[in-house]
Amino acid sequence: MSKYSIPKHLEVPIGACLPSPVKEQPGMITGNWRTERPVIDHEACTTCLNCFIYCPDGCWHLDEKTEQMVWNADYCKGCMICVNECPANCLSTVNELEFPDGVIRLEKPF
Amino acid sequence: MAKEVYEVTIWARGVFQDMEGRHATLLMANAADLGGKFVQAWDDYADLPDRVGVPLRKYVRLSNEEIAMRFVYVNNHPELVVIMDDTIVKGLNVLRGMPQGGSIVVNTKRSADEILAFIPNKELLANIVCVDASGIASDAAIDFMGSEGGVEVAAVGAGISAPLVGAAAKVCDMFTVENVVKVAANKDGVQKGYDAAEVKSL
Amino acid sequence: MAKEVFYSGCAAAAYGAKDARVEVISSYPIRPYTGIMMELSKLVANGELDAEFVLGEGEHAQVSIAYGASSAGARAYTGSSGVGVVYAMECYSPAAGGRLPCQMAIADRALDPPGDFGSEHTDVMSARDQGWIMGWAESPQEVYDNTIMFYKIGEDRRVLLPQFCCQDGYFVSHIPGKMQLEDQKAVDEFLPPFNSPHPLNPEKPINHGPQIYADQGSAIDVQRAMAFEGLPAVIEEVVADYNKQFGRSYSPFVDEYMMDDAEIAFFLQGGHARTARFAVNNLRKQGVKAGVARLRFVRPWPTDAVAESLSKVKAVGTIETSTSYGGATRGGNLVHELMASLYNVPNKPLVTSFMAGLGGEIVTLDMFYDMAKVLSGAVKNQKVNHSYWVNFEPEVPFRPE
Repeated sequence: MSKYSIPKHLEVPIGACLPSPVKEQPGMITGNWRTERPVIDHEACTTCLNCFIYCPDGCWHLDEKTEQMVWNADYCKGCMICVNECPANCLSTVNELEFPDGVIRLEKPF
Repeated sequence: MAKEVYEVTIWARGVFQDMEGRHATLLMANAADLGGKFVQAWDDYADLPDRVGVPLRKYVRLSNEEIAMRFVYVNNHPELVVIMDDTIVKGLNVLRGMPQGGSIVVNTKRSADEILAFIPNKELLANIVCVDASGIASDAAIDFMGSEGGVEVAAVGAGISAPLVGAAAKVCDMFTVENVVKVAANKDGVQKGYDAAEVKSL
Repeated sequence: MAKEVFYSGCAAAAYGAKDARVEVISSYPIRPYTGIMMELSKLVANGELDAEFVLGEGEHAQVSIAYGASSAGARAYTGSSGVGVVYAMECYSPAAGGRLPCQMAIADRALDPPGDFGSEHTDVMSARDQGWIMGWAESPQEVYDNTIMFYKIGEDRRVLLPQFCCQDGYFVSHIPGKMQLEDQKAVDEFLPPFNSPHPLNPEKPINHGPQIYADQGSAIDVQRAMAFEGLPAVIEEVVADYNKQFGRSYSPFVDEYMMDDAEIAFFLQGGHARTARFAVNNLRKQGVKAGVARLRFVRPWPTDAVAESLSKVKAVGTIETSTSYGGATRGGNLVHELMASLYNVPNKPLVTSFMAGLGGEIVTLDMFYDMAKVLSGAVKNQKVNHSYWVNFEPEVPFRPE
């Protein structure tokens, strides 16, 4: 029995080795980095997948069932590269505060 | 009852507002210092501000007596929270730890009610101040010199930090707008920020 | 003209180096010391400091460049933090053994793993045996003053040793404080240019670090021991001169606070001494006779000054901000040498090691009060553990989180 004891909120796995995230990293939500977001007009969209290819954070993907582009609000940092690269001009830039939701509200930055 | 150390947390966005955030702390600290207060002003150590758009924090601590706990990482109970980019209030609990009756100062073109709609714990607030600091002063040039403990290159208080701290002077009694005007480079901006600030009591 | 400024420890070190007229700066980025090099690069670029600014490809190269420059007769400056300090470990002995008085600014940082940029003294404390001068500053003002004083001490012909000028990472290096920059002329008067006795020079060829027979080695080590023998006297001289010229009041080795009638004492180095003094003020109000003894030089360890300062207290606890896993007390580093200093003192105090402030932990006023409780209990029961990990031992009366 050790005479030392680590409080619950400071507990850490041995050697500080942590499991790695596979698809998304819920410990690093970056949706609150953006000041504006891309808004898509699905009618005008040709599903050319430019936004999917150019997004540096992988925040656009094509939903096979609905055949529409889906935007990831949790991680989009608002760089607007997708708006810039869309050949169909179906993406527009809108200030984040125009939308009442769409951001995971964090207690602390991390 | 007021605590011994008055805490201010300033929220800004990385890269394009890092310097402005730091200037806001320096304006408050220098103004309070002129008024005879004991001051601390520094950047959050863990925020890594060299990432565009990341929400980051800067801190000021003001006291009538010498500050005993000088070495802290964050301000846990800020009486005053200053928001340099209004979209920050949506994604983070900026009022976390605020003692009852605190104030928030927001750089925004929107109305106080629009901003409050994004703050679920607004019952902590005694008042909210809205000022269009970006309209009054332009953003100054980006400068990384101070963010790792280096010395500021740009004149302190030349950009949006001036009207924002001027507005904050309306709800903070630890420094006066006259002293902020004395220490800021953009003196008109400070006064304009103070005059244009709309204080809404809650 | 002396100028009052609001600078962080990083800026203070940079301006100290500037006023010391360093000639070669070798840099490599690592938090938290990196601000020093950012500031120096700006000063060199805009012509305020006439120095060679070199980027090493790593900390090992960085220190090699510094002592290489020193061997050519230049006043050399470098620095590092955390794992960088340990990466350069091979280079420390050649600099000290070659009697090359370059200076290395250390803003300490916890060693990996994992990635922790909080302050911990272990990084450069693990180089204690390499033969350098080493000491901690507790405020930006002291960082500036030490930068200048350490060059004067190290370059003295009786010494000729390189120096680690250390400060707590973040706490001192990144939180600005009011301080005074001195007039350049006054600093020039205090610190003349470096006059190396054996610089590399094509006109007078000289050999640094030749191969020797094994039985010649001990004599060279004794020569280095002689340098450390005379070193405390040089330190006293230099600190007294600096105090006189610039109006400071540094004690050379141990900075005492309320130690005259103290029954229990905190023994530590670096920034946490400031918090300790506020804690002692409050403890005194409650009738606890506490005091703070802050160590200014860990190398040369001021055995006599430490013994004198602490011989009259009944119990002393070191606040170790560094680790030495498996060490004799299972505590930190300062306690072993403290115990050695007190070994021959009659009625010596009880000594223990408080493991606090590790990995960047803030040592709070509450922690000091708890440590005082342990020390007072030790005096009462006339016994104490070798070491305590503060806040991690449920058996001991430390406050729960």
